[in-house]
Amino acid sequence: MSEDLEHRPTKRQRFFVDSSDSPQDSAGIVDASLPRHCPGLGDRETEQDAQYNVPETPPAKRVATPGTLGSPLNPPTSSKARRHCTADDSVITSPLQNGTIQPVTHEAIVHPTTQPSSPNGFDVDLFTSIIGETLPADSLQLIQSASSNNVERAVNIFFDGSWKKPAKATIGRMPTTIRQTLPLTSKPSRTSSSTASISNIDGTPLEHESVMRKQPATRYIGAFGVGGWATRSGLALLKHGDSVRIERARSQPVAKRGRGGKLFVNNKGDILTRFTNASGQEIGRLPHETAEWVSTLIDQKMCQFEGVCVFIPDRVRVNDTIYLQLRCFLRKEAFQRGPFVGTGDDNRSTGLFEEKESTEEKSLRLRQVALVKLFHEINLQPTSINPTTEKHKRDGLLRAAEMAEQYDGVKKEKEKGKSSKDPNDSSSEDDTAELEDDQLDTLYRKAQSFDFNMPEAEPAPTFRLDLRKYQKQALHWMLSKEKDKKDTRERSMHPLWEEYSWPTKDVDDQDLPSVEGIDHFYVNPYSGDLSVDFPAQEQRCLGGVLADEMGLGKTIEMLSLIHSHKVEPHPDVSNGINSVNDLARVPASSTGVVSAPYTTLVVAPTSLLSQWESEALKASEPGTMRVLMYYGADKAVNLRDICCEAKYATAPHVIVTSYGVVLSEFRQLAAQSLIAPAAQGGLFSVEFFRIILDEAHMIKNRRSKSARACYELQAPHRWVLTGTPIVNRLEDLFSLVRFLKVEPWSNFSFWKTFITVPFENKEFVRALNVVQSVLEPLVLRRTKTMKTPEGEPLVPLPKRTVTIEEVELSEQEREIYDCIYTRAKRTYNDNVEAGTLLQSYSTIFAQILRLRQTCCHPILTRNKDIVADEETVAAALDATNNLKDDMDLQELITQFTASTENPESEDRSVKFTAHALRQIQTDSSGECPICCEEPIIEPAVTACWHSACKKCLEDFVRHQMNKGVQARCFSCRADVDAKDIFEVVKHPLSHSATAMDEFTACDPALSSSQPAPRISLRRINPLSPSAHTSAKIHALINHLSRIPPNTKSVVFSQFTSFLDLIGPQLSRVGISHLRLDGSMPQKARAAVLSEFTKTEEYTDEIIDTEDETPFRGRPSAAKRSQSEAPPTVLLISLRAGGVGLNLTCASNVFVMDPWWSFAVEAQAIDRVHRMGQLRDVSVTRFVVKDSIEGRMLRVQERKMNIAGSLGLRVGGDDGEDDKKKDRIAELKLLFE
Amino acid sequence: MALPKRIIKETERLMAEPYDYPHVPLTVFGASSDSLSLCISRVSGINAVPHEDNLRYFDVSIHGPAQSPYEGGIFRLELFLPDDYPMTPPKIRFLTKIYHPNIDRLGRICLDVLKNNWSPALQIRTILLSIQALLGAPNPDDPLANDVAQRWKDDEPAAIQTAKEWTRTHAMT
Repeated sequence: MSEDLEHRPTKRQRFFVDSSDSPQDSAGIVDASLPRHCPGLGDRETEQDAQYNVPETPPAKRVATPGTLGSPLNPPTSSKARRHCTADDSVITSPLQNGTIQPVTHEAIVHPTTQPSSPNGFDVDLFTSIIGETLPADSLQLIQSASSNNVERAVNIFFDGSWKKPAKATIGRMPTTIRQTLPLTSKPSRTSSSTASISNIDGTPLEHESVMRKQPATRYIGAFGVGGWATRSGLALLKHGDSVRIERARSQPVAKRGRGGKLFVNNKGDILTRFTNASGQEIGRLPHETAEWVSTLIDQKMCQFEGVCVFIPDRVRVNDTIYLQLRCFLRKEAFQRGPFVGTGDDNRSTGLFEEKESTEEKSLRLRQVALVKLFHEINLQPTSINPTTEKHKRDGLLRAAEMAEQYDGVKKEKEKGKSSKDPNDSSSEDDTAELEDDQLDTLYRKAQSFDFNMPEAEPAPTFRLDLRKYQKQALHWMLSKEKDKKDTRERSMHPLWEEYSWPTKDVDDQDLPSVEGIDHFYVNPYSGDLSVDFPAQEQRCLGGVLADEMGLGKTIEMLSLIHSHKVEPHPDVSNGINSVNDLARVPASSTGVVSAPYTTLVVAPTSLLSQWESEALKASEPGTMRVLMYYGADKAVNLRDICCEAKYATAPHVIVTSYGVVLSEFRQLAAQSLIAPAAQGGLFSVEFFRIILDEAHMIKNRRSKSARACYELQAPHRWVLTGTPIVNRLEDLFSLVRFLKVEPWSNFSFWKTFITVPFENKEFVRALNVVQSVLEPLVLRRTKTMKTPEGEPLVPLPKRTVTIEEVELSEQEREIYDCIYTRAKRTYNDNVEAGTLLQSYSTIFAQILRLRQTCCHPILTRNKDIVADEETVAAALDATNNLKDDMDLQELITQFTASTENPESEDRSVKFTAHALRQIQTDSSGECPICCEEPIIEPAVTACWHSACKKCLEDFVRHQMNKGVQARCFSCRADVDAKDIFEVVKHPLSHSATAMDEFTACDPALSSSQPAPRISLRRINPLSPSAHTSAKIHALINHLSRIPPNTKSVVFSQFTSFLDLIGPQLSRVGISHLRLDGSMPQKARAAVLSEFTKTEEYTDEIIDTEDETPFRGRPSAAKRSQSEAPPTVLLISLRAGGVGLNLTCASNVFVMDPWWSFAVEAQAIDRVHRMGQLRDVSVTRFVVKDSIEGRMLRVQERKMNIAGSLGLRVGGDDGEDDKKKDRIAELKLLFE
Repeated sequence: MALPKRIIKETERLMAEPYDYPHVPLTVFGASSDSLSLCISRVSGINAVPHEDNLRYFDVSIHGPAQSPYEGGIFRLELFLPDDYPMTPPKIRFLTKIYHPNIDRLGRICLDVLKNNWSPALQIRTILLSIQALLGAPNPDDPLANDVAQRWKDDEPAAIQTAKEWTRTHAMT
C-alpha cells in the first residue's frame, strides 16, 4: 500500500475526477466501488456538478428520456416544456419500447403546487370537432392527458395514432368517475415493457429532477470529529483551524490487473482515505473504521467532506493522532442516481442464470452501510420514520450487511455442491431458514385482518352463480386491484424510507442557506438511496394474491372477476379505419408478442385442469364463456391467431393450461432463443389480459424452471391463488411477488437484503414487518375459521366427525411387523449409542417407512420381483387346479348339478358337494360343528365342502399343524391343505340379478321370493400374494359395506401400491370403485372424476361444486337410474388428491395411513369437507394398534401443538435436511 | 374362564333330551369312517351330568348295549373337557370295572376317536355313543388290556363269560 501511496501522481489528488478518468472506468471494469454509475455517463455526471440544470445529461436510469423527446408522438413537447410539465403535473411520460406513450403519475407532495390542470381546461368539443369523430370517454381522457390538455397537441397525438396502444391496454377499465377527478390518468405500467416500471423500481419517485434544479450541488448535513493518524513527520504541518482536504487514496488498479491478466479488484486496500493540507501534501489518513465508510461515500459520489484541523501536535511524528472535524455535504448526485439501474434489467436478461449477488448489489450494500454509519456519526435523526421499522434498525442494518457478506460466501460453496444436481428441480430447496409458525401468524395477522365492511361488488350478469358476501367483497377488491393501481388507501411513506430534515444550523451554529421547497430529504437506509421527494409506498402490480383458505371458493371468486372485468372490443377495431393505428402497432407485433385482450390464462396443476374448465362453464350463462384447454394434444392451436384482438367473437375467454405446459414451452423457447417467440404461437407469444396461477405455491422455488417460466408469461393483470402463500420460507413469498411484478420486491437482491438476510440474522421482527408491509396491499386472505360480525362462520359447513379406528394386525402381519420393528429399533439403538443418528437418519427413516407399509399390507415391504414371481406361480396353479382363488358359488353349483344329472357319475361325493354348496348358498348349513354357533360366523369351507366358522376352521387346521400331523377335515377326515380353505363371501345385492335368474330357473326348489345374493368362495390364504387381504383392508371393507348405498366414499392412502392392493379386494366384495393417482394422465383423471361425481343427487349447489361432465348437459335422471350402479368409492393417493380437487359428492373419508403431519391429511379431508358439501362428513382414520402408526399420531400431535392457528405448514416433507434435527426428536418419540 | 359356548350348548343338549337328539352332527353323505356312522343310533342309554363346581367335569353313565356281554350293566365314567377342547378330545375313563380288551384296568379306553381320529366335529354325546358301540364290538386286535385281548382271541366264549360276570359284579349294583 505504501508503495501505491508513493507512486501516486499528485496531479490526481483532486475531488471527483477519480471515477471519470479512472483507468478502471475506461477499461470498463466493473469496480465494486463504482458500480452504480453507468461508465459511459461518468464524465457527464461530473460535468453536471457545474451545470446541474442541463437536461441533456440525464441520470442513467433516464436513458429512455431522449426517446421521448425525439418521439414523433409528442412533437411540441420540447425538453423545456416537458420539464415544465413534470414540474407542474409531476407526470413523466416515459416511452415504451414500441414507441408509445405511458404516463406515470406521482403525486409528489413536495410541491404544494402539484395541482392537476383542470380537465375543464381541455376543450373537448373543439377537439371532437377537429378530429371529426366522438371518442369514448377514456380514450379522450388518455389523449387529453398525453397532450397535457393542449388541444393542438392532442390533435397531433390523435392523428399519429400513438395513443391507441395504451388505450387498448386499458380498454377494459370502466370509465369510472373517480378517474376523472384524478389529476391525470394513471396508466398501468405495462409489464411487458419493463422500462417504465424498472426505472421506478424501489418507489423512488422519478420526478426528483423537478426539485433537483433547486438543489445545490452539495448541501451540508452534519459534522463529526475523527482522530486521524499522521503519515509523515514534521513541524507545523497544520495548525488548529486549518482546513484539510479529504480525498481518496486509491490503490493502483492497473498494477493489480497485470497479474495473470485477471481482473483483480482489491477491495480491502481500497478504503484508504487521506487528508492533505492546503498545498496538497498528504498529512495523514483517516482511521480504518472511519475510512471504511467515508471512502465509499466519496467513491460513490454521495458525499463530499471538508475537514478542519482541531488539534495537531506541534511536532508531528508518524502515527501521531491528528484530530479533525469533518463536515459532510451530501452531493446532488446522491439524489440523482437511479436506484437499481440495470438491476431490473438483470432480472430479465439473466433470468436463466440468476446470480446470487452481483457486484452492484455489493456496492449497494457498502453504500447502505456507509450511509447508516454516517448518519450515526453526525447524529442525524430521522424526523419521520415508519414506526415499525424503527426498532433494531441500525444494528440490524449493519449486521444484515455483514451477514450478506458471509452469507454470500456460504451460498457460493453450497451452490458449488449443488450444481451437480438439477437446479431446476422444483423440490430442491434453499437452505434458508424456515419460518416458525408463530412468525407466520404474525405475518398473516395483518393480511388477515379482514374487514367485514369491505365494499362488495356484484358480478356481471353473465356470471351465473350466486356469490356469498365475502366473495363479493373479494370481487370488489380484485376489481379495484385490477382497475386502479392506486387504491383509496391513504398514501403513506414507503416503509423502507426515513424522512430527515436538512439541518438549518451547521456544527458551529451558523445558519445554513435553506433551499426553497426542500426542507426534507429521504433516505432509504436499506438501500442507501437518497431522495428529496416523498417516497410513497405504492404497488404497481395489477393483481395480487388471493390467499383465501381452501374451500372458500377462490376459483369462483376468480371466475366472477373474469366475468366482471372484461375488455370489450374497441369499436374501431373491426372497421379498419385506423390505418395509422395499424402502423403504430407494427412494432408491437414485430417484438413477437401479440396482445390477447379477451383472454385470461389459467395455469393450474394438472389434476385441476378439468375442474377449472367445468367450473368455468358452470359459473357462466350459456354461451358467455369459451374455455380452451391448452394441454396435451389440444395444444395444436396457434394462440396468436385465435386470441388476437380482432377475434373478439371467437377468442377463448379462458385458456386453461398446466404448469408442465408452461415449463415445456419455456424450455423450447430457451432452446431456440434465436427464433422469435412469435414463431411458436404458444403461451409466450401472447400477452394475455390476465394470468391466474392456481395453487401458486407450485412456483414457490424461485429458482425452479417452472417459476421462471411463469415469470415470463405476459399479462398486465396477474393473480396468484394459493391457500398457502408461504409454505416454509419467506422466499416462497418472493416467488409470488416476483411473478406479480410487485416493485421493488420482485428484485431478489432487494428482497434478500431487506428480508432474507435480516431474517436469517434473527432480525425477525424487522424482516417480518417488512414482509407484512409487502403483503398487506397484495394479499386478501380469509380463513374458514373467520366469523362474520354476527358470529356466523363465513362458510357454514356440515359437521365433520373424525374417528380414529384402531386396527388389530392379524397374527401373520404382526409377526412380520415385529420382525421389522426389531430390526429398525436395533438400528436406531445402535446409532444412538454411536451418536450417528443424523448420519444414518435416512436408513432409519427407510426402516420406519417399511414399518408403516407393514401396517398397511406386509406385501408392500417385499421385494417386488419375488412377489411378481409368486403371482405367476399362483396364476399357473390356478390354471391347473380346479380350485381357484376366487370362485363363484353359482358357477360351482351349476357345474356340480350338471354332473349329478349325468347318470354315470352317481358319485356320493358329487351329490354331497352339490348339496353342501346349496346349503352354503341358502345359508342353511346349520351351526358350526366346531363352536356350535348358529348360523356359522363368517362361513368357510374346505376343499371337501365342509363348512365351519372361518376362525374355527383356521384354528383347527393350525392346531393340527402345530401338533405336527397332517391336517384333516373335521368332518370327513380328508386331508386338508391349509391353502385350500375358502371363505364364503356374500356380495351385496347389486347387479347379480341375471345370475340369480338362471339359478332359480334351473332349480325351482331353492328359489325364493327374494333372489339370493351372489356368493363367491375365496381362498383365505390366496396363492397370489397380492390377493391377501390385510387387517386394514379388512377394516375398510367392513366400513364400506356398512355405508348406505347412496353415499360415496373417498379412500386416501399415501402408498399407491397400497391402493393397488385395496382395489382388487374391493372388487372381490363387489364394491365398485375408481382410482386416481398422480401417475394418471390428465384425461384419465378427468374421466375418473367425472365418473365419480356423475350421479350426484344434488345438482344445484350454490358454490364451488363441481360438475365434471365435459359437456354442458347432464344425463337425465331417468337415464341415470337405468345405467349401472356408479362407483361409490374413490381410491386416491394422498399426494395427488391433497390439492385442489373437489370431492364434495362424497361424504365418507377413509384415511388408510397416517402422514407425518396431520395438516396433510386434513387437506385431503378438506377435499370432501369443503364448500358445496351438504352432508355431514364422517372421517375414519385407520391406525394399527400398538404400532409405529400410533406413535406417528403422537408426532402429529406434537406438530399440531407447535403449529399456530393457521395450519399453514403444509409441505411437511420439504427441506428434509433442515428438518433432520426436528425429526431426530420425532424418532425418539417413535422408538422410545 | 368363561365356558365356551360350545360346551354350554352340548351340556344343555345332554341334559335336555338324551333320547331325541335333534342335531345330526355328522354327515350322512360321504362319511368315510365306520365308527362315526354309529352315532346315528337312536338307541341310547347314555347320561352325562356336569359337576356343579366344575362344568368341564362330567359324571357319565353308559348302559351296556343289548346283545353284548355288558347288557344290563350301567357303567360309570368320568369325562373332562380340557381347555383346548374341542381342538383336543375330551379325557374320559371308566370308573366302573369292566372286562374289555380295549379298556384297561385303570379304565382308560383305547378308541381312535379319542386319539388320532378326534375331530372337533365330534361331541361328548358322539364320543359316548362311540364308547357304547365299543362295548358292543370289542376289538382285540387293537388291545389296551393285553391279557384280556389275548383271552378274547384264544377263547372268546370264556372271555365273554368273564365280561358278563364282571358286569354283573361291578355294573349292576
